[in-house]
Amino acid sequence: MAELVHVDALGADGIYRTRRRMDLTSVSGEKIGEIGLVSPLYVRRTVAAMREAPVPSATDRIAMLDKAADIYLTGTIADMNADQYAHLVSVASGVPLSVVRGSIAGVADALRALRHTAGLAMPMGAAACWDDPRTESGSAVWTRKGDVFAVHASGNTPGVHGLWPEALALGYKVAVRPSNREPFTAFRLISALREAGFSDDSVALLPTDYETADVIIAEADYAMVYGGQDVVDKYAGNPRVLPQGPGRSKILVTKDVDWRDKVSLIADAVSYLGGTACVCTTSVLIEGDPAPLAEALADRLSQIPSLAAEDPAAVLTVQPCEQAEKIDQYLHTVAEGTRPWLGGDSIVDELPAGGAVLRPAVHEVRSPDASQLNVELPFPCVWVGPWAPEDGIAPLKRSLVVTAMTEDRQLIEDLLREPSITNVYLGDTPTTLMLPGVPHDGYLGEFLMRTKAVIR
Amino acid sequence: MSSPILDITTDPSRIDPDEYVRELMQWHFRPETGCSFWLRRAARLGFDPLTDVNGVADLAKFPNFIDEFRDTAIEDLIPRGLGQSQQIAGIYESSGTTGPPKRFVMFEEWLEGFLSWWGDRLDEIVAETGPLNSLAIVPSGPHMFGEVTTRWARRCGGVKFTVDLDPRWVKVLISQGRTGDADAYAEHIVDQAAHILRTQDVGVLATTPALLERLARHADLVDLINKSVRAIIWSGAQMDADTRELLRSQVFPGIPLLGIYGSTTILGGAKERHDEEFDGNPVSDPFSPYIFFRVVDPETGEEVGFGQRGQVVMSHLTKYALLPNNLERDMATRIKPPEGVIGSSVAGVGPVSTFGGTPVIEGVY
Repeated sequence: MAELVHVDALGADGIYRTRRRMDLTSVSGEKIGEIGLVSPLYVRRTVAAMREAPVPSATDRIAMLDKAADIYLTGTIADMNADQYAHLVSVASGVPLSVVRGSIAGVADALRALRHTAGLAMPMGAAACWDDPRTESGSAVWTRKGDVFAVHASGNTPGVHGLWPEALALGYKVAVRPSNREPFTAFRLISALREAGFSDDSVALLPTDYETADVIIAEADYAMVYGGQDVVDKYAGNPRVLPQGPGRSKILVTKDVDWRDKVSLIADAVSYLGGTACVCTTSVLIEGDPAPLAEALADRLSQIPSLAAEDPAAVLTVQPCEQAEKIDQYLHTVAEGTRPWLGGDSIVDELPAGGAVLRPAVHEVRSPDASQLNVELPFPCVWVGPWAPEDGIAPLKRSLVVTAMTEDRQLIEDLLREPSITNVYLGDTPTTLMLPGVPHDGYLGEFLMRTKAVIR
Repeated sequence: MSSPILDITTDPSRIDPDEYVRELMQWHFRPETGCSFWLRRAARLGFDPLTDVNGVADLAKFPNFIDEFRDTAIEDLIPRGLGQSQQIAGIYESSGTTGPPKRFVMFEEWLEGFLSWWGDRLDEIVAETGPLNSLAIVPSGPHMFGEVTTRWARRCGGVKFTVDLDPRWVKVLISQGRTGDADAYAEHIVDQAAHILRTQDVGVLATTPALLERLARHADLVDLINKSVRAIIWSGAQMDADTRELLRSQVFPGIPLLGIYGSTTILGGAKERHDEEFDGNPVSDPFSPYIFFRVVDPETGEEVGFGQRGQVVMSHLTKYALLPNNLERDMATRIKPPEGVIGSSVAGVGPVSTFGGTPVIEGVY
């Protein structure tokens, strides 16, 4: 990138340029731009202004979201066309270009789907508006629990931004704190939403530092925060915050299923999005000896080439070398006592142009209660372990997605009943499958809306 | 007994700083005039201040003594040459952030001299508006800022309304992770200030950046302040350029925002240069030669160039106290001082910024 990209706050009065700025760098360490970091005072004034902003009608909101999808997908925003944008995201985040493109398309699809999906969380007893004929004899009406929704986004892939626009569809004002590594998607999407008709005081971009980020949450009514287990723990007692934490997604293969047919499906679920999503498979439990499956996965995953993120054929994520080394060291520490099938020596593959590819890792653990089965790392890293029917669902707890490759109906019932398992997929459905309208951590509407009785 | 050059004047720009320093060494290190602390300490300096310190440059020979002020008896800090006639305004303490507080003697004459020099902007405002009442929401008790606002209130011709404020307790709460309690305490202070603003005529508001920002969260208080307040004085911590700009342009438009960059360890501070900024920050000029700054590279201790950032070293040199070479925890940009001012002016005072650093934690976000 010859020209530096400036990511400025998009506040209630339009673009706001701060003096406090931070460099944005590519994964190879090159400065590619600057981001302005807003102060707590600015956050508070912006959220206060958003609170007062009028709410457009539901029909207008949907129309604007539709229009924003097109602008986001194909438009030229802040002198940057769609290709340049995708390239920039790849260079900044190390996410393979093809993954970025797919992810961008996914965000646009999610925006367009809101026409049909935004209302899916509404209880069947509720009407969407107070003047629905049903309220004449008394009915529940679906209403917002607050006015302003805050999002602490992460920079994994643009796909992270496919979820929060649902809040706009529901009539919330939304303030997004972007990732300070990849703020381009949030900037582009919010610019597109504004161009499509959302007012400056209804959707805002508030880039800022770690401390001020808390102010955004404190000022908003509800918030969604992407982060690690620390973030989940931090907000565990806060009913206004919906943490999006580690997924620790798992696949279970029981004896009645031939694992040999599933190797490519499992390998893809491990390496999907370069292993950077919470839905990527973290561990596989197999009834019987895990070694042959681990070996087959290692063989399959080892064939993925190391390429620069912006190479159209790239599959694996690139990180700054220093960060890659840290992750590798961490892997070595946590992998102690396991049998490495792939990546046991090093997962770091430095690129000639700077940065390092995070190569896949496959480790075999001895028992279904091995702690490694819940270690999720931001690259294709899978733990394979043994499982027996008497282990039950205990080793599968605390998972965002469990794909159960089994014919055992009781086991499926047990998985559905377990509160710490968020989603249950069956058969040849990879943990990574995401469909508009099928919630991946409940519908946002469940968190942001409630019913109110109206009788007239 | 002292040379007239050591008498405090509000326009010290014509004082020859080297001559001033030489006279000051005679004052502080002769048994007839010096204080017990320095007379005792002189033996272990490794140089003779009476003969080896011949100008400002030689002050660098003094090490940073400031930690010794934590447990020195106050009587030992009173220069004998001042005699019994000199009134003491109070004993003031540093904030105590880095250990037990350090104690200093504030003499009446020095404090008044400093305030006369600093308060010229305030005097101009009052000359236009007539007498103004003050509201001070500042640390009082052992903290110099409380006393300073009392004096200003008098200069402004009105009364001073106050709210109790104990910043050390807030620091304890924050260090224990009790941010909710710290928040509640701050709101308690704002509530009391709000009552005064609602019921009294306040023309000058003195507070800290954090409390000013907190007042700004309340639209009704912002309205009250904008209606009656003619000057806002702040000190006690840093204010970043973006926040200052928002306060000046949007929250309190038209109300002069007068900052004072100071420290108890120099018994005073610097004055914002009128209508001149560096990168959005006010430029602070010290009351030289009584107070002066150096800005040094934290690694090497060497002075940085103009326009460069470094750590601030503060000195207080008067017949009332000798406090050389105190390394503050603040970072600032070194600015060329006005004609006749020794050392440096500073701008953009702030803590060392800490960005980046990405520890590996499990998870993908």
